[in-house]
Amino acid sequence: MRRPRYQNVVLHAVLIVLASLTLTPFLFTANNIFRTKKEFDQSFFSFPDAFEGLIEVSALYLTGNDDQVEVVDEFGAREIVDRDEAFSRYIDYAQQGPSKAWSVLRPFMQNSFLVSICTAIGVCLVGSSTAYILSRYRFAGREVVFMSVLSTMMFPAVLTLVPSFLLVKELGLLNSYWAMILPYIASGQVIAIFVFRSFFAGLPEELFESARIDGAGHLGIYLNIILPLSKPVFSVVIIMNVLYTWNQFLWPFIVNTDGSKHVIASGLFIMARSQEAEDYSLMFAAYSISSIPLLILFIYATKPFMRGITSGALKA
Amino acid sequence: MKQEKFSFTFTCYVIILPTLALLFTFIYLPVVWAFSRSLYDFEIGSESRFVGLGNFGEYLFSDPTFWPSMLHMGALTFFLVCVRLTIPLVVAKLIHSLSTEKSRYVYRTIFLAPIVVPGVALQLIWMNLIYSDVGLLNETLRAIGLANFTQGWLTNPDTALLAIMVIGFPFVSGIDVLIYYAGLSSIPEDVNESCALEGCVGIRKFFRIDVPLVLSQLKLILILTIINGLQAFENVYILTEGGPGYETIVPGLWMYYNAFKFQRMGYACAIGVVLFLMILTLTIINIKYFRSAEEVKEGA
Repeated sequence: MRRPRYQNVVLHAVLIVLASLTLTPFLFTANNIFRTKKEFDQSFFSFPDAFEGLIEVSALYLTGNDDQVEVVDEFGAREIVDRDEAFSRYIDYAQQGPSKAWSVLRPFMQNSFLVSICTAIGVCLVGSSTAYILSRYRFAGREVVFMSVLSTMMFPAVLTLVPSFLLVKELGLLNSYWAMILPYIASGQVIAIFVFRSFFAGLPEELFESARIDGAGHLGIYLNIILPLSKPVFSVVIIMNVLYTWNQFLWPFIVNTDGSKHVIASGLFIMARSQEAEDYSLMFAAYSISSIPLLILFIYATKPFMRGITSGALKA
Repeated sequence: MKQEKFSFTFTCYVIILPTLALLFTFIYLPVVWAFSRSLYDFEIGSESRFVGLGNFGEYLFSDPTFWPSMLHMGALTFFLVCVRLTIPLVVAKLIHSLSTEKSRYVYRTIFLAPIVVPGVALQLIWMNLIYSDVGLLNETLRAIGLANFTQGWLTNPDTALLAIMVIGFPFVSGIDVLIYYAGLSSIPEDVNESCALEGCVGIRKFFRIDVPLVLSQLKLILILTIINGLQAFENVYILTEGGPGYETIVPGLWMYYNAFKFQRMGYACAIGVVLFLMILTLTIINIKYFRSAEEVKEGA
């Protein structure tokens, strides 16, 4: 079906306007990483000074001009230096916000990585083995087990928040990684079992039959048949899970009563409530740094990412 | 033979044991506790006192935050429902109408990209960048000569709730567009072709054909939005802490304050139970009365 060309132009125009509105806060954030608080106070809308300096010096390199240049530092002091020195000064100037933010965020980032990776591994192991049994075998009580897994979706987080805290406290898990990892696995496995089960149920029975005839046990079937065939569905589950864990803010905030195991989300909040929030550049750098790991995951695995998000929506 | 069957069942249960153990410890046990502890008045580490339904009575009938918080929650949820059922659907339709698959993919990716920013960072970005005194909104107003409209959007009682609502403007990032897009893509090609033959195109086709055929997606988003809307309070906590005064308090936040600020664990559990019952009721109503496309087709 051919459409008139102007229609496509209109569509693009509308979508581009919406996309730029959506991205505006993020572009501003990215721009402000490299601006100091002082620059920010002077004018709100502006390109980082350090970048203007860098462009100026780069122009000297391109034209082969090796004159000395005047460098203006953060406090407005002027100095005349040669171009290599000017270049490295502007680089230092630009990266002071990000490097300061990184030094604050590093422990949070490490905790986030540890918790996300452990949760993802746990959910994959527990979820896939349960889904394997539920999808390939008939045993007494199978329906009951499946229904008890599914019906947990009925309970919203707001119902279990306070009692879960009481439970974790009673188990003596406060201020440990387990306080995050175990509940995350418990709730993350539900949707994982759902996704794995429907995938495993679609695999042909002949494969399992012949493996059993060859004498393979459950472990052999799991390692030699399920794992190699299910890579795409594993990546979907992993991405769904990492996205969920990375965004958890309130739970880590509550169970870290001594503040030692904060993850990136709760750490950002702590940062925003502390003295450091006075420094805009530091905060904007922190927001950007906290987005980088998922951005890399997003670029590296856009398609499983999209699938992971839409199947994650099933979780009510 | 019987022995063999028993050992087969036993093996199955051994393999699913971790799942069951985690489910019962970290989900079912807290659910049971939520109900049982809501009948007590207790602080952590001190004697608990049985009060029966006293916590519920106090919350429903004599808590001064009850009605304001329900009103705020209702307003926030209603706004989100209106927005999420319309704008992303229109955008998905616009993307779906583009002529090349490549451009469709590019736009879908662009609208999804903001999901990499952690939720907390998103709220804080809006707080620091858009709403602060030297923020995008106030500076833009000053730049175009509307300086007397500038204000502390989140600290002014008149605008605080509105300011919380419009975070995320223009509401097209994230999963909604993808979900509607998937719905539009699953409309069979012969339906589209016969529409074109009948001369049913553009806005008329959108309302007569597309909207009825993505009803199940609309229903999914409706249910999700209501469930999230009733329990969401992290954003309010980050942005205003329920203030100024109690101008933006929501029930979930009040539960959080009771548990972790005032040490009234039993009372907090009772608020959680009330919210759960509300969510359950609304979800059941949704599932029952909002029929999806498949059910309409089956004549259910």
